Amino acid sequence: MNLAVAPAEASKAASSAPEVLLDVRNVSLSFGGVQAIKDVSFNIHKGEIRAIIGPNGAGKTSMLNVINGFYQPQVGEITFKGRTRNNVRPYEAASQGIARTFQNIALFKGMSTLDNIMSGRILKMHRNFFWQLLHYGPARNEEIEHREKVEHIIDFLEIQHIRKTPVGRLPYGLQKRVELARALSAEPDLLLLDEPMAGMNLEEKEDMSRFILDVNDQFGTTIALIEHDMGVVMDLSTRVVVLDHGEKIADGTPEEVSSNQDVIDAYLGVAH
Amino acid sequence: MDLLYDIFVNPFVMMADRPVFLLKVIWEGLAAGVLYALIALGFVLIFKASGVFNFAQGIMVVFAALTLVGMYALGMPAYVALLFTIGVMYLLAVSVERLVLRPLVNQPDIILFMATIGLTYFLIGFGEFVFGGEPKVMITEELGLPRGIYRFEIAGQPLILQKLDVAATIIAVIMVAALAVFFNKTRIGRALRAVADDHQAALSVGISLNQIWVIVWFAAGIVALVTGIMWSAKSDVSFALEIIALRALPVLILGGFTSIPGAIIGGLIIGVGEKIGELYWGHLLGGGIDSWLAYFIALAFLLFRPQGLFGEKIIERV
Amino acid sequence: MSGEASQASAHDTFPKLLLRNAEVFATRAAMREKDLGIWQTWTWPQVLDEVRALAIGLKELGLKRGDRMAIVGDNRPRLYWAICAAQSLGAIPVPVYQDSVAEEMGYVLEHAGVAFAVVENQEQVDKLLEIRETFKGISHIIHDEERGLQHYDQPGLQSYASVQALGRKLMQQDGEAGKAWLAEVAKGSGKDTAIILYTSGTTGQPKGVVLSQDACMWAADTANRFDNLTEQEETIAYLPMAWVGDHVFSYAQSYASGYCVNCPESPETVIADRREIGTTYAFAPPRIYENLITMTMVSMEDASAIKKKMFHYFMDHARKAGGDILDGKQVGLLDRVKYGLGEFLVYGPLKNRYGLSRVRVAYTAGEAIGPEIFRFYRSLGINLKQLYGQTEAAVYITAQPDGEISAETVGKPMGGVDIRIADNGEVMYRSPGVFTEYYKNPDATKETKTKDGWVHSGDAGFFDEHGHLKIIDRAKDVGKLNDGTMFPPKYIENKLKFYPNIKEAVAFGHGRDQVTAFINIDLTSVGSWAERNNIIYASYQELAAHPEVYRMIEGHVDEVNRELAGEARVAGAQIARFLILHKELDPDDGEITRTAKVRRSLVNERYAVLIDALYDPSVKRQKIRTEVTFEDGRRGTIEGNVEIRDMPRHGAGDAALREAAE
Repeated sequence: MNLAVAPAEASKAASSAPEVLLDVRNVSLSFGGVQAIKDVSFNIHKGEIRAIIGPNGAGKTSMLNVINGFYQPQVGEITFKGRTRNNVRPYEAASQGIARTFQNIALFKGMSTLDNIMSGRILKMHRNFFWQLLHYGPARNEEIEHREKVEHIIDFLEIQHIRKTPVGRLPYGLQKRVELARALSAEPDLLLLDEPMAGMNLEEKEDMSRFILDVNDQFGTTIALIEHDMGVVMDLSTRVVVLDHGEKIADGTPEEVSSNQDVIDAYLGVAH
Repeated sequence: MDLLYDIFVNPFVMMADRPVFLLKVIWEGLAAGVLYALIALGFVLIFKASGVFNFAQGIMVVFAALTLVGMYALGMPAYVALLFTIGVMYLLAVSVERLVLRPLVNQPDIILFMATIGLTYFLIGFGEFVFGGEPKVMITEELGLPRGIYRFEIAGQPLILQKLDVAATIIAVIMVAALAVFFNKTRIGRALRAVADDHQAALSVGISLNQIWVIVWFAAGIVALVTGIMWSAKSDVSFALEIIALRALPVLILGGFTSIPGAIIGGLIIGVGEKIGELYWGHLLGGGIDSWLAYFIALAFLLFRPQGLFGEKIIERV
Repeated sequence: MSGEASQASAHDTFPKLLLRNAEVFATRAAMREKDLGIWQTWTWPQVLDEVRALAIGLKELGLKRGDRMAIVGDNRPRLYWAICAAQSLGAIPVPVYQDSVAEEMGYVLEHAGVAFAVVENQEQVDKLLEIRETFKGISHIIHDEERGLQHYDQPGLQSYASVQALGRKLMQQDGEAGKAWLAEVAKGSGKDTAIILYTSGTTGQPKGVVLSQDACMWAADTANRFDNLTEQEETIAYLPMAWVGDHVFSYAQSYASGYCVNCPESPETVIADRREIGTTYAFAPPRIYENLITMTMVSMEDASAIKKKMFHYFMDHARKAGGDILDGKQVGLLDRVKYGLGEFLVYGPLKNRYGLSRVRVAYTAGEAIGPEIFRFYRSLGINLKQLYGQTEAAVYITAQPDGEISAETVGKPMGGVDIRIADNGEVMYRSPGVFTEYYKNPDATKETKTKDGWVHSGDAGFFDEHGHLKIIDRAKDVGKLNDGTMFPPKYIENKLKFYPNIKEAVAFGHGRDQVTAFINIDLTSVGSWAERNNIIYASYQELAAHPEVYRMIEGHVDEVNRELAGEARVAGAQIARFLILHKELDPDDGEITRTAKVRRSLVNERYAVLIDALYDPSVKRQKIRTEVTFEDGRRGTIEGNVEIRDMPRHGAGDAALREAAE
């Protein structure tokens, strides 16, 4: 079944049809002569966990970078929450409700876990500079409100014990969790996770899977994730889009995708 | 033997002998140190936020002072000229971000460093073109800065303090306190620390690098303006002032390039060390010691603490 | 029933104490819990309100007098309230070790025949649901946290809050519900069973120790009197609720004296939370104290030279003077001044780091503590004492009174306890705190408890010249070498384990010609040692087999041999050969219990090849394959080629000589 439906058609469909949160249409991206993404279209439904998979160099991370504005595609357009945009800067994407984590962890290593997570709420904070300077009145109450939200996330991800620890000193698995916490603290509509389980041991992977499912379940956050571990992808995701050499080769439920011959070929071709 | 006596004994005998004089020397050292600290602070702000070693910090001091004096000469009241100069520093910050940093984003640090050298020569040329090359006098009184001295008696001995030095110290303290509050307590401060730590992560949480760059360059501009006023109040406003940037280098070596407390304490140590060294040991080397003593102090210090005055810990909290 | 009439005067059950506390300590904090980074407080009247609401709700759901109710989870106020709520209805709470796997837990729940379970979170709910597939008796599962459970629709599953809401609704609807509950509380008597605690026995299946309200009450009163504990104390609850120590310490003693029990934010934050609260009364097994020291030593290794010097200088001084100052003995002025300076520079900050600055009394129990470790804390000025207790005794058998402290003994019998030493050296005791029976296990009860109330402790020991009890080993474990020399394995193992580098040791020798030992290195301690000495290793196994590690452990074993040589009764039990195991003994493999006691028979069986090798002088290296269970339950095998070292033995003179040299 082809799920890459144009939004106009989708809205015409029955009201029970899933709401499209993000729609990527005919996006192409190249660096100099290298085509990283070739004419890829797919969409993300509100509330689902959408996996983007593919062999190394398939253009998965590039796709994520296009969605959150790190890269500007040469061709194609992206509609997020009904608004179509061509060029968007990362901080604009963030302010529209897209948060993300990185394959190689991009945390503020010198700051504590708490400060890192608080920084995720920068966009939610008041802009009244002078109140903040005085650290008084409304700004102070505001700080407390933000802190409460952040504490709920700390509780949720079970990282109370490292609240005050500079994240640079934390082990890898916990850093990944703090990064997820920071992304969550922005209360995003769309959460992009770039290989959230890379480099983790089995137990850490299980924990992270549970957190991802819980986030999706409890906060209703829509999640798009890139992951290598096929087992994890099959367990977690609602729908999967498969890229290979920058092109989309399959799109559908985990079962559909895993029985798709192109996908099997692409994976075998890389693995052997 | 005599030489050893002169190095290791005599200076301390002199210090003990005339403690009030020593006090005066220390005070003068601190007063100079405050200015070193301010210059170093300008460097640190920009280095922290953008990783750029801003070679133009020295010329920004001159440029700010020149603009202030120049506008006054054109007939603006002193305070209006001050506000105008602040406006000019803001424009400078915006222009630097637009014309220098933004086009060079993702270039190696050395390219950005070269760009700030270019900026230096541009500001020299532009400054000379607009205000002329001859030295000018700072409008100290018009800005309400006190002249004259405070005189104290301690144990029957006179201790004389320049009012200007006292005022400079107070202003510097206020400015540093304001910056500290700004960095630690405000949203922008947090964003700034975030940018200093990791650009990519900062972008992803919705911080605009461009906005932050404008803010730090503007802050560095204000620091430059204050430094310029204080420094030229003691001498003149001239392009020769530009070399005071070199004074900041040992401070940065001592305090670390990313630490605000390091810049402040480093500045004070260098200031006091220079004055004491010059007065008690300088004659042994026939004077001229002040041109290199600061470097000597910084390097000697580094032998014992290679990571600079403040290791990781304090940097993290800044 | 005459209960109704006597209820006001006699506070013979814990629910009655709760009613009293709500009046007497109306404004005092009874419990705190750190949640979302903030300490939440409940006063005694608020606790009463919570317990009553839950109890009335439970009653409505069908919990009756005599029913057993399981309690599973970390230390949470709501779980402690569940204990009281069950007792108030005459039901029997059965706390279960929260980290036991479904299979272990299933045995206990089925054996106890629980109908209700109050559990902490989704993890425990999942386990309970798994158990319920085979043991159908569990009708109600009540969970504290909601997270992850929204989509569960299994019958009998509901939230703690909903049960309390039910109770509150009933109370509002009709005033009788509250009165009826009070009547239920009044029906309770001291003879009632207060709790069943399952002991993780070193052999066989766990046994359910039945303790009466009277026994728990006696334990609480005796302990509170012994150390003059009042409602002013602050404690932190972080040890498993299924352990008798926690039950008496965080529940019984708190209810009896009115002191406040604090629940940490998570198991990982205990030290920080303890520091924030400033606990005044502390209770921990030796390993907790050991871990704190290991942590300190590791971080001291990374500290600057000046700090290191200062630390060692003042710790040396504390070793010299600290213990005496604490015991109120005569100490020279200079030493006192130096100690005062040390307090300011080292001891104070250290105590603050451990969260023990305000501690008046701290106990260690459960296992023997290393004399060095024990003295370390006392020299810092922390009043650390030893006590000897058992689940079957409602904890308290002996304890050290203030000022009569020794690292080697466990103190004097507590008020109301009689002790005698049986012919085979076994310690036997009798007290009002003694257990009623092993639940549904009359044979075991008969074996352990005599008709006239004496309990076989199972430990071998003797009284020293000051009337203090000294425990040397498990009675049944004390064996004999072929030449008749006494062989107390635990005694030897403990001597080995007192070295921070040695995490676990197993000694062999009964019915053999000589003593040999397995050793497990401590990964934290040896790992940091390896890092400092540029020893590179990829795994536990590799580190354990490293020649430098062997050399270090060899040194420790030699020192133990010297010590043994100095003690006439065990001089012949010096270690002749040892090896370092290629894997850690692991509770997941059943090799040690959850409370870190070695299961000897299992070890004997699994490592038979290695034991044989130890007794074959020609074998210098031995290959072995061991099956292991990973944390996620998967199974695999580990292969090792383990080196065996021979040790020289010392004569009695060696020890004396060494002491003279020091």
